[in-house]
Amino acid sequence: MRLVRDLGRRKLRSTLTITGIMIGIMALVVFGSMANKIDALVKGGSTYYKDKVTVSAKGGYMGVGGVLSTRMADQIAALDGVDVVVASTSMMLSDDASGVSMGVPPMIQGSVAGSDKGRETFKLDYASGRALTAQDEGSNVVVLGSDLSKQLKAKVGATVTLRDVSFQVVGILEPTLTAPDNEAMVPMAAAQQLFIKTLPTLVADKLSVNEIATGLIVYPKTGVDPQKIADAINAAVAGVTPMTGKDFDKQIGAATSVLNAILIGIGLISLLVGGLSVINTMAMSVAERTREIGIKRAIGASRWRIRREIVVESSVIGLIGGLLGLALGFLITTLGNDAGRDSATILFDLTFGTAFSSVAFATILGATAGFIPAWHASRLDPVAALRYE
Amino acid sequence: MATILEGRNLRKTYRLSRKNTVEALKGVEISIDKGEMVAIMGPSGSGKSTLMHILGLLHAPDPNHGPAPELRLAGENVAALSDNARTKIRARRMGFVFQDFNLVPTLTALENVLLACDYAGIRGKAAKDAAVEALGLVGLADRGGHKPSELSGGEQQRVAIARALVNKPEIILADEPTGNLDSDRSAEVLALFRQFNREHGQTIILVTHDSEVGEACDRVIKMRDGRIRDAGQRAGTPVMATQAVAVPLGAGHSGFDPDAASV
Ligand SMILES: Nc1ncnc2c1ncn2[C@@H]1O[C@H](COP(=O)(O)OP(=O)(O)O)[C@@H](O)[C@H]1O
Ligand SMILES: [Mg+2]
Repeated sequence: MRLVRDLGRRKLRSTLTITGIMIGIMALVVFGSMANKIDALVKGGSTYYKDKVTVSAKGGYMGVGGVLSTRMADQIAALDGVDVVVASTSMMLSDDASGVSMGVPPMIQGSVAGSDKGRETFKLDYASGRALTAQDEGSNVVVLGSDLSKQLKAKVGATVTLRDVSFQVVGILEPTLTAPDNEAMVPMAAAQQLFIKTLPTLVADKLSVNEIATGLIVYPKTGVDPQKIADAINAAVAGVTPMTGKDFDKQIGAATSVLNAILIGIGLISLLVGGLSVINTMAMSVAERTREIGIKRAIGASRWRIRREIVVESSVIGLIGGLLGLALGFLITTLGNDAGRDSATILFDLTFGTAFSSVAFATILGATAGFIPAWHASRLDPVAALRYE
Repeated sequence: MATILEGRNLRKTYRLSRKNTVEALKGVEISIDKGEMVAIMGPSGSGKSTLMHILGLLHAPDPNHGPAPELRLAGENVAALSDNARTKIRARRMGFVFQDFNLVPTLTALENVLLACDYAGIRGKAAKDAAVEALGLVGLADRGGHKPSELSGGEQQRVAIARALVNKPEIILADEPTGNLDSDRSAEVLALFRQFNREHGQTIILVTHDSEVGEACDRVIKMRDGRIRDAGQRAGTPVMATQAVAVPLGAGHSGFDPDAASV
């Protein structure tokens, strides 16, 4: 109580300092949540691409882009060490995915259900409805990822329009925090039909629609190094780029860790400024209370007591700033995610760990910043301090 | 009568710059008896405050080239103790009253008194009871919740006195306690000191410019130019006699016993 009253006495300065910390923590919370989201995305991708080889057309990436043929699937399936090959057809949900967005743009993803023969280990949970089956081939049905279902405001049984074609929603996924959250999963044939319409007529005329694929997912036999398979594919099939989980980690992992470092760095710099401001506030507060410190020392307060008093006060400043910053960060990330839902760009993932460590960090920062003025205060000569005006 | 505080070879030189020094105390010898109420008088700048700071363990006497300084509190030499040890003695065995009251402005009267209990290691109900009792003794039982700014000068000084005596210290040191008060308030404060001294045998050393205050004390020590010019004479035995009788009576009466305070 006494402490809160003391803070109140120096209202303006404490408010400014608390505001400084609040902004720093807010930045840390917001950027940290962004980094969390990126991490989750990357981890999801990393898990997905592990132990398999993903084949795209040259110039394509991760099974998206140029056109392959399902015949290549048979060619690859015949290679040594290959267990199963799944052909898939993917495209962006809309073409105007202009402006680089964070995360993954909404995708339409088609493959024949069950064609992985049980090899896919990336498990999807269903919030409602059911998974696609091989019997769905030929009908226009769709399973929506969690974010995409919110964007489309679709429930099981509803009809949604994907690239001008109506699809009936049969299932909705639980959040995965990674790519599937933004996917519309459709039967292979339906995806092929949608895809061919995206191609120029001249190109489309040369293709037979039921042989179209944009990516091939190659599952090696147990114990076979995916890199060996990738090398074999490179040698046997022209015009394709095979990619292993290691390649994914190397490319995406490196890029995102730099991005994360920058994000966290921005947050930390703003906190450094906040920390200096705590030192300043506490130093001024000590100067202002020199006489009071003299009184306390004279009537028997030990140096340790004086130090503790100041460090506790600055910790409380840090704690209050941290809690307010967390509240503000929570507000921003929540509003940001709500706003992004319409375009299915969920930018933030505010975890308990991020929240807790931000507030803990603010408190420790406050305490640390209090040490210097506290030390100074505890070394004051009581008599001189008493005379101080 | 037992000696409670005894100083020998007490010197203090303030260094103003490399060349400029002020010899505030030039070798002081002083002896205070238990239960005595002593006034220290002398012109401004004669070293009274400096002496009080040393007697109150706020400053250490200079280590001399010649005979080492000695400061005995109840027989124990405390001249060269660590800051921590001196702080502990200040908290538990001494009480301070200053000219300008020196209350913590953000705390209420009661909280100011409680602060002294806290530093002496007394907390909770025991502290609360002691603080309330001390405020009662100085006649401010109903002012405990007031901030210093809501109290008159005389009242503030009485709060400071309550704070000084709440831990039942062996010695109360007061540096010009009436210096900022008008004559009526001065008389009240002086009467309080006199009362604690008479009824409870409280040892009190006070610095004053006021000869009336001096006359009300058992003894006046006169200082000049960093030395004690006149160690004074204990006033006549009648005072001693009343005091000797009054101590146990007073102690029994209010439960205030400075002997019990020694740690
Ligand atoms: N902190 C200090 N620094 C320098 N000189 C001081 C200091 N304190 C006291 N003095 C000097 O020491 C002498 C004694 O001062 P003081 O003990 O305060 O005298 P009194 O209390 O009798 O007026 C004075 O000349 C004073 O100017
Ligand atoms: Mg003085």
